[in-house]
Amino acid sequence: MKTLPAGQYIPGHSFLHQLDARTKILCLFLLIATVIGALSLWSYALVLAVIALLILVSRLPVRPAVAPVRGIYRFLLIVFLMNALFFGGEEVLASWGIFQLSREGIRQGFRVVGNVLLILILGNLLTMTTLPTQVTTALESLIKPLKFIGVPTEDVAIIISIAIQFIPTLVEETELIKMAQIARGARFESKKLLERAASFIPLVVPVFISAFRRADELALAMEARGYRNAKNRTRRKKEPLAPHDYCALAVCAFICLVQFLLLRNLV
Amino acid sequence: MLVEGKNISFSYDGFSLALRDVAIKIEKGEFLVILGANGAGKSTLVKHFNALLPLEQGELRVAQIDLRDEKDIWLLRRLCGMVFQNPDNQFVSSTVEEDIAFGLENYEAPRDEIPERVRAALALVEMGGYEKRAPDTLSGGQKQRVALAGVLALEPEIIIFDEATAMLDPSGRQEVLAIMDKLHKAGKTIIAITHYVEEAVAADKVILMQKGRILACGSPEAILTDLDLMKAAELLPPLPVRLYHDLRQAGVHLKNCPLTNEELVKEIWQLKSKT
Ligand SMILES: Nc1ncnc2c1ncn2[C@@H]1O[C@H](COP(=O)(O)OP(=O)(O)OP(=O)(O)O)[C@@H](O)[C@H]1O
Ligand SMILES: [Mg+2]
Repeated sequence: MKTLPAGQYIPGHSFLHQLDARTKILCLFLLIATVIGALSLWSYALVLAVIALLILVSRLPVRPAVAPVRGIYRFLLIVFLMNALFFGGEEVLASWGIFQLSREGIRQGFRVVGNVLLILILGNLLTMTTLPTQVTTALESLIKPLKFIGVPTEDVAIIISIAIQFIPTLVEETELIKMAQIARGARFESKKLLERAASFIPLVVPVFISAFRRADELALAMEARGYRNAKNRTRRKKEPLAPHDYCALAVCAFICLVQFLLLRNLV
Repeated sequence: MLVEGKNISFSYDGFSLALRDVAIKIEKGEFLVILGANGAGKSTLVKHFNALLPLEQGELRVAQIDLRDEKDIWLLRRLCGMVFQNPDNQFVSSTVEEDIAFGLENYEAPRDEIPERVRAALALVEMGGYEKRAPDTLSGGQKQRVALAGVLALEPEIIIFDEATAMLDPSGRQEVLAIMDKLHKAGKTIIAITHYVEEAVAADKVILMQKGRILACGSPEAILTDLDLMKAAELLPPLPVRLYHDLRQAGVHLKNCPLTNEELVKEIWQLKSKT
């Protein structure tokens, strides 16, 4: 079977699927705080238990749910090294010029990499159980309060919606331009990280130019359909949250509290 | 007259003219096709009709609204919808249903009327049942029909198709053309820009543009069969017309110049039965 790419929505009827997207986003924030706040082994044990439980409850296949781990190991390696080599610690194990390998540094490296992974998996669980439209609608209503500090929330909501809508087109286009350049002899498969990164530069320019052209055309199409500004538009209906949404929020808040008040300081 | 304009000139850059002293009249319910080579000014002209471009010079009235008056522009855009060439650059939402609602929301349609109007618009373009689909999962022809539904939801008088079939495969093109025809029969005014001269055959009126000017305006029979005119506009006449003239040169004289394959067959059949 073709492995599912990370993060793509998988239809289903699990408890996670049925939660309101707003709830899921807020819970995601609470759980991210729980991850970032983790210091002791006990607190990581709590996070891992929560994630395992979520995967179980979502009834998603485990493999795609933890797929982000595979995709970015190079990036994680760099993150690890940066932390390990630059974190000034007391117990220095070795040093080369400005680099310094310390026990604390290694621990810090593991912690950061672990946190990134856990957060990715949590985010992945959100997008795998929530339609992109549900995510955007939820974001739109969650950013509403920012209006009071002067953020043009209606415009931001439209921008989010269009940006998400444009992603598949741009991905497809990047693929096309890449093909066109491979046909003319470009190479993107170099084993060397630096060479590989450099080979993507000629890709960036045409993709950007095309994105701007598309944006121009889209703006025209929006105007033609009567778009004036984000304010004078029909308001979307506000769905109230269901009891199970409040339950989920309470549970996540509780986990977060347990983390910060109890486990964090255990050794 | 639904559209009436004269002395319209326009320049994008301030010195070269994209439109030169254009005069145009379009009647209600008319099916108008605009033909012309690349850069002839077709898009520039139609973008004046719904005020996507400002009227710099000349006079233009569309549906009783004077385009020199900026304040009614927004109302005009509801009356005069437009479908663009690239199906991928017209969507603002990640589901069909929300995308069609976009125009309705812009005109502050009552919230509880929106779902019904979205359904009705989708039914008009024969895309019922696709409400929840993501636009990027549709075929080109389906995308253009959804884009059209987004326009139709606003119940416009005039629908402009700016090369709306150009990026579609033959079956996608047929889908869109069939709906264009249906809308025309339902009494809508259709303005279609195209590079396919065959699409002009069914029109009530054809306008030939070249270098910012209107070169000719008349029935498809008058315009498409005129070799000199078509040549001046840098266009190739439909295949039956070219065959008619080639046959003539070879000494075979058909009675009338055919515009469609069916007419050509009929002419040849008549010639055969006479001899
Ligand atoms: N946004 C623009 N900025 C500057 N010049 C433009 C712009 N759009 C069109 N032009 C110029 O105006 C002229 C008329 O262009 P227009 O797009 O109206 O032609 P067209 O008949 O629609 O051609 P096509 O068949 O290629 O769509 C051309 O010379 C073109 O280069
Ligand atoms: Mg054009």
